[in-house]
Amino acid sequence: MENNVLIQVRDLSKSFGELEVLRSVSVDIKQGEKVVIVGASGSGKSTLLRCLNCLEDPTGGEVIFEGVDIADPKVDINIHRQKMGMVFQQFNLFNNKTVLENITVAPIIIRSKQLRRDKWRAFFKKGEKPTLNKEQIVAEEKEKAMKLLERIGLEEKADVYPSTLSGGQKQRIAIVRALAMNPKVMLFDEPTSALDPEMVGEVLDLMKQLANEGMTMVIVTHEMGFAREVADRVLFMDGGVIAEQGSPEEVFGSPKSERLKSFLAKVL
Amino acid sequence: MYLEGLGNTLLIALIAAAIGITLGVIMAMVNYINKKTGKLKIPTKICNFYITVVRGTPVVLQLMILYFVVFAFWDNGIMIGAITFGLNSGAYVAEIARAGFESIDDGQMEAGRSLGLSTWQTMRTIIIPQAVRNSLPPLFNEFIMLVKETSIVGYVGIYDLGKIPGLIQSRTFDYLFPLLIAAVFYLVVVLILTKILHIIEKKFGKSDRNQGGVTNGK
Ligand SMILES: Nc1ncnc2c1ncn2[C@@H]1O[C@H](COP(=O)(O)OP(=O)(O)OP(=O)(O)O)[C@@H](O)[C@H]1O
Ligand SMILES: [Mg+2]
Repeated sequence: MENNVLIQVRDLSKSFGELEVLRSVSVDIKQGEKVVIVGASGSGKSTLLRCLNCLEDPTGGEVIFEGVDIADPKVDINIHRQKMGMVFQQFNLFNNKTVLENITVAPIIIRSKQLRRDKWRAFFKKGEKPTLNKEQIVAEEKEKAMKLLERIGLEEKADVYPSTLSGGQKQRIAIVRALAMNPKVMLFDEPTSALDPEMVGEVLDLMKQLANEGMTMVIVTHEMGFAREVADRVLFMDGGVIAEQGSPEEVFGSPKSERLKSFLAKVL
Repeated sequence: MYLEGLGNTLLIALIAAAIGITLGVIMAMVNYINKKTGKLKIPTKICNFYITVVRGTPVVLQLMILYFVVFAFWDNGIMIGAITFGLNSGAYVAEIARAGFESIDDGQMEAGRSLGLSTWQTMRTIIIPQAVRNSLPPLFNEFIMLVKETSIVGYVGIYDLGKIPGLIQSRTFDYLFPLLIAAVFYLVVVLILTKILHIIEKKFGKSDRNQGGVTNGK
């Protein structure tokens, strides 16, 4: 695993009107690192995570992803977001798309647009002729999506709509939907909090697989067992700052601040 | 004569519905994007002003103004009728579509954006189809209203189903019968349209059982 930094957060702050939710947060996330964020409700965990892909526009500071400050309103955020997968508590599968379409819709739209651009460039002799046509791109994405569905054992659900699925199935599909973009990092916001207890395991297992494959992951979760097992580093958020951080052993085993001690007393 | 009136009624209603839906959905979209991104403040204000004015004044008055003032140079009554009703129904469709957009969970847009799609790409493939589907039943009701309201066009002297009893009556002096026939014609048209609505609801209801409103007894 290389030691280079994938995401650099510098003095990040975020306010909703008068309410200061993040106060000058700085943190580096290395390639392949598994970072788990814990903290009390309202401490700013989701906001920090959502600032990483600018789903929430930071009020101040920088989020440097692959050398580019994506918090800068002038950058084309969409290009960078394509390489940052995100998984939500409420799954957010597209209701009007089948399972397969849920996975293919974004890559097909994005690659088709690129194809049109490449065709124009080739037409004006500014670039190579694209090698694949639209049909081939669609076929390729469908095949990739089927492979992802096979991986999670849901290939027979390819043509059904999300409303017919269980929460665990929805969340695993949401995860592979993000994977279909070949992201460099995966962001998880309480991925198991909306699940019935018996379905938590299947989602955590998939996340562990990803972790073992070396995916860079930032995970907000209340699953402390999972955090212990998977995390390289645990961040404890309190009042909009990272109050304490370290290995799971350090943070869970020998907490320094009273705030962390009382938080752990509540959740463990 | 009745057939010609029926044709005009449906033609006006169809053109008006096309104008109304386009206008209404665009206005609702402007409102939605403004709400989500805060980017279209002034267009949203204009839309809201338009909706307030159109909904706050009688359609007969709007028809008179367009027929006798704005399009005074133009004697195509059917088209002027269609445009008036289109502009009018646009305001109502905007309200319907706005509710349709609001019924969609914010997570749908967030999921699209998180995958790297632009706001417009997400609108086009995810949000608009769901918003339109959610508002199909009230939209169709609006269209049925439109078919009935177009009888007003008779006031400014275009042949339309509601106007014909007046014409026939002036020749036959039989008051009740022509009115009854017109009523029956309207009823038949509206019943047929209602039937079509049910078929559409069934068809669209298949795609997702969880999204409210559209599914019909499924
Ligand atoms: N869009 C918003 N508008 C206004 N306030 C918001 C918004 N999003 C979050 N907040 C506020 O910001 C604070 C931090 O929210 P955040 O969602 O980051 O907390 P969290 O640590 O994820 O909590 P939880 O464990 O409940 O998910 C909360 O007080 C919340 O009410
Ligand atoms: Mg949260």
